Amino acid sequence: MMNKRTNMQSILLYTLVIALVIFCVFPFLQILSTSLKHPIDWGNASLIPRVLHLDAYKELLGLMPSKEVEVPASIQRLLDNPALSAEKKQLLLTKFTDGGDVFSFGRYMLNTFSISLVTGICSTFLASLAAYAIARLRFPAQSLMANGVLFVYMVGGVLLMVPLYQMSVNVGLASSAGGTILSLFLIYLIQTLPVAMYMLGNYFRTIPFSLEEAAMMDGCSRVEAFYRIILPLSKPMLFTVFIYCFVIAWNEYLFASVFLKQYQDFQTLPLALQTLFTSKNAIWDRIMAASMLTLLPVIICFMLANRHLSGGLTDGGVKG
Amino acid sequence: MSSVILRNVCKSYGNLPIVKNLNLEVKDGEFVVLVGPSGCGKSTTLRMVAGLEDITQGKVHIGDTEVNDLPPHKRNIAMVFQNYALYPHMSVRENIVFGLKKSGADTATIQSKLADVSEMLKLDEYLDRKPADLSGGQRQRVAMGRALARDADVYLFDEPLSNLDAKLRHHMRTEIARIQHQYNITAIYVTHDQIEAMTLGDRVVVMRDGIVEQVGSPMDIYLQPTNTFVATFIGSPAMNLIEAQVEGDELVFDQYRIPAQRIANVDMHTLAQHNQVLLGIRPDFFEDSALTSPSGNVFVFDDIQVDLVENLGFDKEIMFKLGGEDAKARLDLRSHVKRQQSLSLSVDLSRVLLFDTSPQGMLINAGTEE
Repeated sequence: MMNKRTNMQSILLYTLVIALVIFCVFPFLQILSTSLKHPIDWGNASLIPRVLHLDAYKELLGLMPSKEVEVPASIQRLLDNPALSAEKKQLLLTKFTDGGDVFSFGRYMLNTFSISLVTGICSTFLASLAAYAIARLRFPAQSLMANGVLFVYMVGGVLLMVPLYQMSVNVGLASSAGGTILSLFLIYLIQTLPVAMYMLGNYFRTIPFSLEEAAMMDGCSRVEAFYRIILPLSKPMLFTVFIYCFVIAWNEYLFASVFLKQYQDFQTLPLALQTLFTSKNAIWDRIMAASMLTLLPVIICFMLANRHLSGGLTDGGVKG
Repeated sequence: MSSVILRNVCKSYGNLPIVKNLNLEVKDGEFVVLVGPSGCGKSTTLRMVAGLEDITQGKVHIGDTEVNDLPPHKRNIAMVFQNYALYPHMSVRENIVFGLKKSGADTATIQSKLADVSEMLKLDEYLDRKPADLSGGQRQRVAMGRALARDADVYLFDEPLSNLDAKLRHHMRTEIARIQHQYNITAIYVTHDQIEAMTLGDRVVVMRDGIVEQVGSPMDIYLQPTNTFVATFIGSPAMNLIEAQVEGDELVFDQYRIPAQRIANVDMHTLAQHNQVLLGIRPDFFEDSALTSPSGNVFVFDDIQVDLVENLGFDKEIMFKLGGEDAKARLDLRSHVKRQQSLSLSVDLSRVLLFDTSPQGMLINAGTEE
């Protein structure tokens, strides 16, 4: 029987929904708003900036023309002092004219993107194989293994952080940048695999086994049936799993902060944002613009995933 | 084409036996139908031939090769599944040629096979559609086409028509029969529908609880069922089984005394060993006495009280009591019998079967040949 809502109920429902949405969206609006405000506008409580100020973005993306720094008169006098060696003068000049690399956003973006992409691809690939085995094959201790992988989630990252770092030091990985990135990649893989397997395993179970049997009758081996039938049919879920792994790696802070502390050039965005926050360059609009730009790929990923999640690929294959 | 031989094949899941010591030989170009109620092991048998189920015991040969340990894709078998199992992400065309491509056929062969199959199954206009855009009957035809396009040694059909409506099922049944005669394929066809079994099979295998009850031509099975299970399973409405006392050379029930010698192929010595027998009379073998002239071997059951009449168009089914049991007769449309009326029914005694009253209900007389 259909339940017809009364007006009162509708109003209540919508109020709650809108309140919830505002609660979730407000921080993002605040970030966006601050990133677009001119420094003189920061005291303004309104979310809408008085003037649109894109300098922070331009700065981060390297679109700002390099500024001519004026050397203060007192320093100029020092420089004019003939007693000072040319070398010392140059040093002094550099100290005042070079604003320092404010925040090499592009570099951090590339670091983060690379490790997230590799994590996403590898995790999805490995998870699809493991998920198939768990969903379809019969082997000893199958359910123990299927449930055991989720055990990873029962132990918090903070507890694992130190032992894992110790391990990578012991095997010598932490002594080089490449080794450190490799250990970080392995950690991301372990972090994303269980849920990826779980999601894919459940999806594979929805694909009728008779499709694989039909493929086997048509001359495919089991492996062929897997990549010719199961994988193409699982595209939406593979994509979703990829996005999930990508975003996890993109946002990861804890392990990156431990492993990459000493390798400034290889830091990922969450870590770099934290560094920016505590540096002399910590200016609100810059921090917020950097946050916004860090968020952007995640938002794009979710929009894409949403479009691909319509599913329904297995429709019509077998009689329902 | 190839023959298929099953020798002492057993299948069990854990301790639960599904197929018990099955022996069957399907000759080259023969169409064999496995029929039986749900859970009788017919689909399991088919899947063992396909390689989709392991064989617990016994041997399966396709042609000269023992295939027990051969994976399904190396057996060169084509199969039509009950639920069609079409590849949803491929068009009809891709579905049909998938197996051909896999077997390494050249483009010309693939094209000609595709043209053949799509013409035969009237799929031309659907070739570019996805299975989701097809009706049940069309999907079924694609599934059939996918199997027939292959140049397989054996074709397996696992209840391919069970998901179709009655009219389409009838159409496809004749279509399959036509294809079988045209291509002379070696086929094993599983169904629980006895009409499909009767109309399609060169030979019919009736199974129950993992055991083969009878193997024979459709008419053998219909006219000389070896036991009461086969007798009642094949034929619709089911054969009437009436308990009768053996009194000397007469079979007695209700007010009727049937002279046993007039029943075909009765060995009186064998009969004398039984106190009771079951009389098997198919509903179709009854005739309204008012419409027939009594001839030599006809026995007339007079004073039959009709409980119910069902008009089916060309013929009508009447229900009545015989020997204390519900019985049915199928009379032709000229009979004007009505409910609660009485009439006389005549039966040609040479068509009557006798079964013993053991749980198996084995046939006592050899029945008639037609």
